[in-house]
Amino acid sequence: MPVGYFGNSFRDQRDGRSARTPSASRLPVWASLGLSLLLACLAVALRAPWTLAALAGVNLLYLVLCRVGCGLLRKAMRGLVWQTAILLGLHCLRFGAEGVYPALRVSSQLFLAFLPGMIFLASTGRSELVRLASGVLPPTGAFVLGASLHFVPLLVREVKGIYHAQVLRGARILPIDIFKPWCWPDWVGCLIVPSTVQALAMAGEIAMAARARDFGACRHRTCWPGNALRPDPEREP
Amino acid sequence: MVELKGYGYAYPGTEDPILRDVDLRIGAGECHCLTGATGSGKTTLALALKGLLGAGTQTGGIRFAAASGGADPTVGLVLQNPETQLFATSVGEEVAFALENRGVAPEQMVAKVRVALQAVGLDVPLDARVSSLSMGQKYRVLIASVLVMEPGLLILDEPAAQLDSRGLDELRLVLHGLAREGTALLLCEHRSQAFQGLVDSYWHLDGHGRLQRGEADPLTPSPSAERAASRQRPALARAEAVRSESLAAGAGFDTPLWAGASFALEAGQRILVQGPNGAGKTTLLRMLAGLDAPREGELRVLGRKPSLKTLRGRIGFLFQNPQRQLFEDRVIDEVAFALKRRGVSAEERRARVAAILEQCGILDLSQRSPHTLSFGQKHLVALASVLVSDPELLLLDDPFAGLDAHCRNAAWRALMDWRGHSTKTLVWTSHHTGDGPVTADVLLTVEGGRIACRLLRK
Repeated sequence: MPVGYFGNSFRDQRDGRSARTPSASRLPVWASLGLSLLLACLAVALRAPWTLAALAGVNLLYLVLCRVGCGLLRKAMRGLVWQTAILLGLHCLRFGAEGVYPALRVSSQLFLAFLPGMIFLASTGRSELVRLASGVLPPTGAFVLGASLHFVPLLVREVKGIYHAQVLRGARILPIDIFKPWCWPDWVGCLIVPSTVQALAMAGEIAMAARARDFGACRHRTCWPGNALRPDPEREP
Repeated sequence: MVELKGYGYAYPGTEDPILRDVDLRIGAGECHCLTGATGSGKTTLALALKGLLGAGTQTGGIRFAAASGGADPTVGLVLQNPETQLFATSVGEEVAFALENRGVAPEQMVAKVRVALQAVGLDVPLDARVSSLSMGQKYRVLIASVLVMEPGLLILDEPAAQLDSRGLDELRLVLHGLAREGTALLLCEHRSQAFQGLVDSYWHLDGHGRLQRGEADPLTPSPSAERAASRQRPALARAEAVRSESLAAGAGFDTPLWAGASFALEAGQRILVQGPNGAGKTTLLRMLAGLDAPREGELRVLGRKPSLKTLRGRIGFLFQNPQRQLFEDRVIDEVAFALKRRGVSAEERRARVAAILEQCGILDLSQRSPHTLSFGQKHLVALASVLVSDPELLLLDDPFAGLDAHCRNAAWRALMDWRGHSTKTLVWTSHHTGDGPVTADVLLTVEGGRIACRLLRK
């Protein structure tokens, strides 16, 4: 059977974008993990504005070294804006104008504490994570950790779908309804319960699919060589 | 290759077996198709062959012919939902998953993975993102990830449910190739006609656990349903339900999913949105419901700019896999929920719920828990819970996917009854060509970044 005989090979993908896996970091995974932990700890420890500015610069450098696209930074910045607005509001409510500086500082510290972890996860493939986790966890635990992270976006999509379906059926679960205690039963009944049931059903399906491919058949799992296969992009046609 | 003799199985806690006295023999290179209503035991039989059934009562036996090395041949199983079977980010890693589980040395993996990908005709780099592939390609990756275990018997559970026409054509070619090379195939499939020409024997599970000789059934809606639809079509379609001017979809800086969509839909029309997987059919529906904003262009739905606030209560939306939105303890409460939230009186609620349950053919289930029903019955409950509020515009995202002929006809009849005497507008999507044009007034084809609008009936 000739390779690619369907005529829909990889390069024919919609809009012709490259669709390679993200793990092209210039740093080894263990170094990337260590650096992200260090940067997160520093964000908690440092308080002076100039040190936080310097830390933000180091984070940017880390982002570039990990070859993570600007999309992640855009998403994180959007979160930062919301978080800062909420913190500013709460601090000003409690302390007046004096609350502005502490609010900005706490918001920057929180942002810088979470950003390195986001960069690490975005730049590390599942197999590398599993390989790394295998050093400290049993193979099953390492796989479960990797699979859990992998399926988070799917679960989020499912919960969003349930949310929209229930809103259109008339459930009182719009953001404004969170401030109305008489609507709280709808949050539980229409969103939390079905989402939990869906999460459990998904977990069952995932476990079944893993067993169908012999997960648990051998005590010593091996690991896909991953980045060791990656050809030099400059030498690729 | 494999033989079941008098095989039976009952799930723990139930006395009624889901499979009884099943006799089946599958030889190397043969292709068998197993049909039957939802909940009739097709997946159970597949799990039994793979050895994945948990505690329960088994009778009879399954016997495998020894492979060349003297061991039982491996059974490969691809389950129904691709999304929950794709564990990895890259294609190579995904296909190698079973090898990792078997403890195969990493340096031997690459060659085995390439052979499996070649067998399903996929020409992609090993580090290609799984998420960037089409649904048809993802399905072939899943088959490759099973072929890497070199199975003697390959079982596919509902392969046609997720695939568009092109994906199905590709799959048929792959399966032909595998059968030629001696792999035995078992397809558990509602749309049995989808694999005509490939299948050597059809089998039917009768709903009482017994396996009988079967045949390919027709795909199109039953003539009686179509006759009823023609009879009840309203005489005139009038006010404008949807108007779109140069609409484009897609987020960020990427190329738009589709663009330049201009069309007008009248109240009372039945509109089929058709196109391959990933073309943007669901996106169009979400825009009509006000869940996603257009990237460009002007859109008016029921005379207003669509948003959750403006359309809440005026439109109904049945998402894919609508069973997940069920949460009440009784079917009757589930269906009544929307009316309760609108402040409809208890008496009127009871009458309307009973009427809609009857329309959907599930009145006898009204006191049952929705969570204990079969897939098809849950689907009908979800449909009833949307229809009961009598929306002006009803949006259905692939409403017949995974439904057996009985439930498909029941759902279709309920929709036609709902529309029968009114100017209600119905929009539904499908990735199967031939599923709906006979019953649609307007066909919207979403393909290649464009939406074409064709009036089928005045």
